[in-house]
Amino acid sequence: MRLRIPNRLEDVFLALDRAEGALDRAEVDASCRADVRLVLEELLVNTVRHGYPDGRDGNIDIRLEVEADVVHLELRDDAMPFDPLQHEPPDLPGDIARREIGGLGLHLARSIASEFHYARDAHGNRVVIRFDPSDEPAL
Amino acid sequence: MTLIVRSESPSPDRSTVWLEGRLDAATYAAFDEALRDVTPLLDNGGTLVIDLSGLEYISSAGLRSLAQLRKQLHDRDGRTLLLNPQPQVKKVFDIVKAVPVAEVFASVGELDQYLDHMQRQMTAPGG
Repeated sequence: MRLRIPNRLEDVFLALDRAEGALDRAEVDASCRADVRLVLEELLVNTVRHGYPDGRDGNIDIRLEVEADVVHLELRDDAMPFDPLQHEPPDLPGDIARREIGGLGLHLARSIASEFHYARDAHGNRVVIRFDPSDEPAL
Repeated sequence: MTLIVRSESPSPDRSTVWLEGRLDAATYAAFDEALRDVTPLLDNGGTLVIDLSGLEYISSAGLRSLAQLRKQLHDRDGRTLLLNPQPQVKKVFDIVKAVPVAEVFASVGELDQYLDHMQRQMTAPGG
């Protein structure tokens, strides 16, 4: 699946549904589909909310490929430079009510991805993620 | 599927909220709004049970709503207990250590047993 979306929240959710449909058709199991949806939601919502502080229109390209049991995801955007890997892991005291709000989304995305790479080139930010479903218990 | 929120407040010391669908950046506002009608019905020190049997997905936006709800209940000496989280929700809770394990229950029976136990501790002579 290849998809280009504008930097708007409603388009992010349309993209999530499209991605889930594509994974379903490729017979990716429910647990891995949910992982991909979560990582996509966290990264795309983050980009849309914080990546364009000047309010300009932007584009995000999403590429999703299934190869054997492995799902490959590539995201490119023209937002301001942002490396999700450079963020400190959040403080996790064992109760979400006893911590500062925020910071959990990127932590979830990094924890769930089997591999996570970031690069920035002339086009903007580029994130490449791999999901290995084999270590997941079947639902 | 988006999010469906149902609630029942049979007594001032206990309310139950059932969630169905997805609690994410698209639906958390609806959840917050639904809960604004439920929490005032609870006395200070009351118990809010969130039944997660029908919730198939949660993201950090949903966690933020749950965190705010827990804080709000804590501030009123109350508690939020979670019932029957499904695999994706459980996995997300585990990764972020969302709630103490003792406040998550696999069944209504387990939860009732816990609440009975708490009740007996509070009413037992000598404490």
